Amino acid sequence: MERALTEKPHAETVPQSGAAGTILNGHYLPPPVDKDGKQWVRTSALIVKSTSELYELWRDVEKAPLWQEQIAEVLVTGPKTSHWVMLTGDDPDKSIEWDSEVLNDEPGKRVAWRSIGGDSDNAGEVIFEAAPGGRGTIVTVLQEFRMSKLASTWETLTGRNPKQAVIENLRHFKALAETGEIPRIQGQPHGPRGTSGNAKKSIYGEKVATPAGEHQLAS
Amino acid sequence: MKAVCWMGTSDVQTLTVDDPRILNPHDAILKITRTAICGSDLHLYDGFIPTMESGDILGHEFMGVVEEVGKEVTNLQRGDRVVVPFTIACGNCLFCKKKIWSACDNTNPNAHLMEAAYGYSGSGLFGYSHMMGGYAGGQAQYVRVPFANVGPLKIESDLPDEKVLFLSDIFPTGYMAAENSRIQEGDTVAVWGCGPVGIFAIASAFMLGAARVIAIDRLPERLEMARSFGAITVDYSEEDVDVLTAIKDLTGGMGPDSCIDAVGLEAHSTELQGFYDKVKTAVMLETDRPSVLRQAIQAVRKGGTLSIPGVYGGLLDKVPFGAAFGKGITMKMGQTNMHNYMKPLLERVEKGQIDPSSIISHRITLDQVPEMYKVWRDKSDHVTKIVIDPWAERAA
Ligand SMILES: NC(=O)c1ccc[n+]([C@@H]2O[C@H](COP(=O)([O-])OP(=O)(O)OC[C@H]3O[C@@H](n4cnc5c(N)ncnc54)[C@H](O)[C@@H]3O)[C@@H](O)[C@H]2O)c1
Ligand SMILES: [Zn+2]
Ligand SMILES: [Zn+2]
Repeated sequence: MERALTEKPHAETVPQSGAAGTILNGHYLPPPVDKDGKQWVRTSALIVKSTSELYELWRDVEKAPLWQEQIAEVLVTGPKTSHWVMLTGDDPDKSIEWDSEVLNDEPGKRVAWRSIGGDSDNAGEVIFEAAPGGRGTIVTVLQEFRMSKLASTWETLTGRNPKQAVIENLRHFKALAETGEIPRIQGQPHGPRGTSGNAKKSIYGEKVATPAGEHQLAS
Repeated sequence: MKAVCWMGTSDVQTLTVDDPRILNPHDAILKITRTAICGSDLHLYDGFIPTMESGDILGHEFMGVVEEVGKEVTNLQRGDRVVVPFTIACGNCLFCKKKIWSACDNTNPNAHLMEAAYGYSGSGLFGYSHMMGGYAGGQAQYVRVPFANVGPLKIESDLPDEKVLFLSDIFPTGYMAAENSRIQEGDTVAVWGCGPVGIFAIASAFMLGAARVIAIDRLPERLEMARSFGAITVDYSEEDVDVLTAIKDLTGGMGPDSCIDAVGLEAHSTELQGFYDKVKTAVMLETDRPSVLRQAIQAVRKGGTLSIPGVYGGLLDKVPFGAAFGKGITMKMGQTNMHNYMKPLLERVEKGQIDPSSIISHRITLDQVPEMYKVWRDKSDHVTKIVIDPWAERAA
């Protein structure tokens, strides 16, 4: 097959496997499907930064509240472990907590983790691969979780499906990495919203606080 | 501050709302000195663009004086006089680096809404629905400008506001429309719509080498304006005028090398298809009324180019795609990549090659805005462009 064409001056080697199960033997594989109460989400973003810069930002877990929605605090508790606190709605006193453990850490390439006890049952990996044509890094996140009672309460309260939250978090990560801030409209002026406007707040993501970004400003 | 709020279809009100404040490190706050109503605002007024919400502040064509800057804004200072592009761009993503600024990846806080509708999200826009970012607009006394390190153009000469205000949208939009129509020296170009965008497209077509421009509209004051910029005009509402025949007559049966649709989704139509589109949009089987688009595809010559600055939002019916394919035409369109054009066009204004303020017909206060939206929609009172002084108490 490879010999069917010899003139491809800029072609790059076809990866045999890659990006959280996206490619196997040069062929595309779809994301895993939800089964037995386990949910999966796979999402990717092309980010104009090097693999190592992005790895560093991701690996700095205590900075996660800057770009992950509803994460109030992360504390490093050991070389591979950290403690996570997530808000579950508008009330700052209501939160869920869990510990997380890094299972696999390949600097500049990949991080895999899972929760170890607490209110959330999740596991995931993130993969950093140079994009074709030297255009930056393709970051792929594959996350699985079981819906705990609290996680579904969170969805009801915030209107954000946890799968969408993974997608939004990668979007925030990209914005932060590329620009140093996360675009936001919460806190800007507007006229009276009326009844329909209030009801639709969650559709517009106005109920989930946009994470602070790099530079937290006094409100 | 006072601001113009969208309160529902055909309901715009000037209300007192909170002043904007800095929310992100690359923000700036502007005291607005002049702002305008755009043809695009009509699509919001008439309820064609989804995800507008009661209370949203309108307006995306504005300029002013910098009041305050966020801590990462290094190129602007309090007191600087700037014109702001209506598309918000980060300057760092792959699209900004390719200078496709209106496709910026990092400025739409509601990207997921646009992704659901269009596959991918474009840049955030001021005052143009939640799907397009939900940013508060500039038909107000103050505005917050995100990524102020990238967008705003400093005006260092003493040119009056009215001569540079339209660098915020319609002049670059008309220019990009002409550029997208791939004009070669000696070409004939047909422009549908002699609103502000159409007029600047006509001017730009000449600037880029067109030999002849044919302009189509029905409003006498706008056709006259088109003639003053050098176009040959066709009034499509005149009895016995058939636009396609007129265009053939004026091009030796060949058709224009390029066509520009500067009308968009609310095209007016006197024919049966106008009625057809009205019925279909009313029952939501179609969202846009593409009668000009259909006509322009039909009119353009074989191998010609169709440029579409007029806005389309959703689903179009009965677009003659077979004609487009059969003639092998090229189509180019999209929100304007503002940042490419503001500076070079400012230079043309500074040199006196064009006076953009010549299209202004009305100068009003913020309190007059609600009634003027009606005038603007109905094209009554010979309106050609409305400019607002947000600090004036009484009409000029
Ligand atoms: N691409 C962009 O970034 C961008 C930016 C600004 C405006 N726009 C769009 O450009 C379009 C024009 O804007 P404008 O400010 O000039 O608006 P406008 O409403 O003032 O002008 C539209 C003109 O089209 C004419 N028209 C209506 N039906 C017609 C028909 N069948 N044939 C010929 N002419 C017809 C009207 O009489 C009017 O003069 C709008 O759709 C607007 O949303 C796009
Ligand atoms: Zn506009
Ligand atoms: Zn960008």
